[in-house]
Amino acid sequence: MQSSPNSKPTTLIIRTIAAWSVALLLFFPLLFLAVTAFKTEGQAIAVPSLWVFTPTLENFVEVQARSNYLHYVWNSVVTSVVSTILGLLIAAPAAYSMAFSPTKRTKDILMWMLSTKMMPAVGALAPIYVMAKTAGLLDTKFSLIVVFTMSNLPIMVWMLYSHFKDIPHEILEASRMDGAGLWDEFRYVLLPLGMGGLASTGLLCLVLAWNEAFWALNLGSANAGTLATLVASYSSPEGLFWAKLSAASLMAIAPIIVFGWFSQKQLVQGLTFGAVK
Amino acid sequence: MSTTTVRSGGDWLRQFLPRLVLAPSFAITLVFVYGFIIYTGYISVSKSKMLPNLDFVGLDNYRKLWKTLNWQVALDNLAIFGILYIVICGALGLFLAILLDQKIRGEGFLRPIYLYPMALSFVVTGTAWKWFLNPGLGLEKTMHDWGWASFKFDWLINPDMAIYTVVIAGVWQSSGFVMAMFLAGLRGVDEEQLKAAQLDGASTFQTYWRIIIPQLRAVFLSAFVVLAHMAIKAYDLVVALTGGGPGNATEVPATFMYSYTFTRNQMGVGAASAMIMLMTIAAIIVPYLYAETREARHE
Repeated sequence: MQSSPNSKPTTLIIRTIAAWSVALLLFFPLLFLAVTAFKTEGQAIAVPSLWVFTPTLENFVEVQARSNYLHYVWNSVVTSVVSTILGLLIAAPAAYSMAFSPTKRTKDILMWMLSTKMMPAVGALAPIYVMAKTAGLLDTKFSLIVVFTMSNLPIMVWMLYSHFKDIPHEILEASRMDGAGLWDEFRYVLLPLGMGGLASTGLLCLVLAWNEAFWALNLGSANAGTLATLVASYSSPEGLFWAKLSAASLMAIAPIIVFGWFSQKQLVQGLTFGAVK
Repeated sequence: MSTTTVRSGGDWLRQFLPRLVLAPSFAITLVFVYGFIIYTGYISVSKSKMLPNLDFVGLDNYRKLWKTLNWQVALDNLAIFGILYIVICGALGLFLAILLDQKIRGEGFLRPIYLYPMALSFVVTGTAWKWFLNPGLGLEKTMHDWGWASFKFDWLINPDMAIYTVVIAGVWQSSGFVMAMFLAGLRGVDEEQLKAAQLDGASTFQTYWRIIIPQLRAVFLSAFVVLAHMAIKAYDLVVALTGGGPGNATEVPATFMYSYTFTRNQMGVGAASAMIMLMTIAAIIVPYLYAETREARHE
């Protein structure tokens, strides 16, 4: 369904304007956040809002000085990157197995795995919290990495599966005919062909882990806190910290604005549990 | 000779490898989800207060839960939020999808913008929302300064209206995402039928109402399931925007569960509320997934 039957140029213009206005409306809060980050606190609460001003970096400096901002950035980077790599290492073989040696139960297992992603995190909060506490792992990057990996695993398996399924089996069979061993098969056939799938799944998981706030807020605080924790800590006292809060927030969303652009398809796919391909 | 042994070794590995490598993911999912649900279920029938306590008390916690005023508030709020969120997101998402499906200029640029609110953590973007909704700083003050002195927008701090600010933010966050679901559906609509309808002189509205929308039934169902489970899980939105307040005006099941488990030292009651949430979500998704798998089998 591309063009509708009786669209005249004027209707098309009206529709285009409507579509762009909605986009502006949706993007406005983010734009506002980004602009406020470069204002002084005084300018930030000035009414009507200033759109022309001399940008300042003082908020970023202040956030760094006050709460050691880079520490949280580092935690966010470590937890999301490590949990993504770990997840790929566990999920890729499973997806490979289901894609290339499917059994009668494969579809059921996949659906079952996906269904678990719909469960509310609060259902697992008490046991995980108690376990982390007993093991002395509260507020450690380790516990966050484990939880991020586990909670993203079903989506990773499923996304990788749908990528691997598209690799033609004939190629693998041909390589076996030529006497390729398991390692050769992996190294020269599967890895190059599966690279795209691994990359896009990894990207999606980076985004999900970076955004993850529930576990970050509940299991981490000072030591292992991620950017989400930092932003949350800024928003609790209802003081006039808008510019600083915006600066802290901007840094937390900037990477996703970039990565999100490239991973929109995966994001929709992942968040709809495969209903949209 | 030696090559044959190596080959058969390889074959053995090839045969068992699939099951072997599937095992970790399978086990992790099993433990992470079911193990913890069982644990939560056990806590919900135990005497746990501040710390887990394994003395069995039957359904006491559930009885206590239903008598708790905050839980009633949370359920009422979930009903208001859930219904408005699903209906508005669905309608707006469909509208945006139809809009984008008209060969709009710059569609490739607009799509990610519609999706951004969903791609970003609401704990972070909630900041900007608090700004707008704050009567002393945002929309209300702007209107006052522009000379509209009687303009009043204090929903964020008004206990009767605060839950609607959560709806606004939720709609902002998810409609672009629902749009993407519908857009994918629209792109899959049968072209032949559309041509036939055009030849019969159907208007654009008729074409959509009679031919296109009925074909999107599956998308409507998926959108409903996805939105419904997000509504029940809603936590970030409320925590970032109102923190459950003012008072307990925007308490929802997830914030209730959190505060009873961790700040009010009623772990048993908190676990009971978590079990109710789990069961509600299961009641929505199990039939859906069951239907989906059956369909996949028939393919």
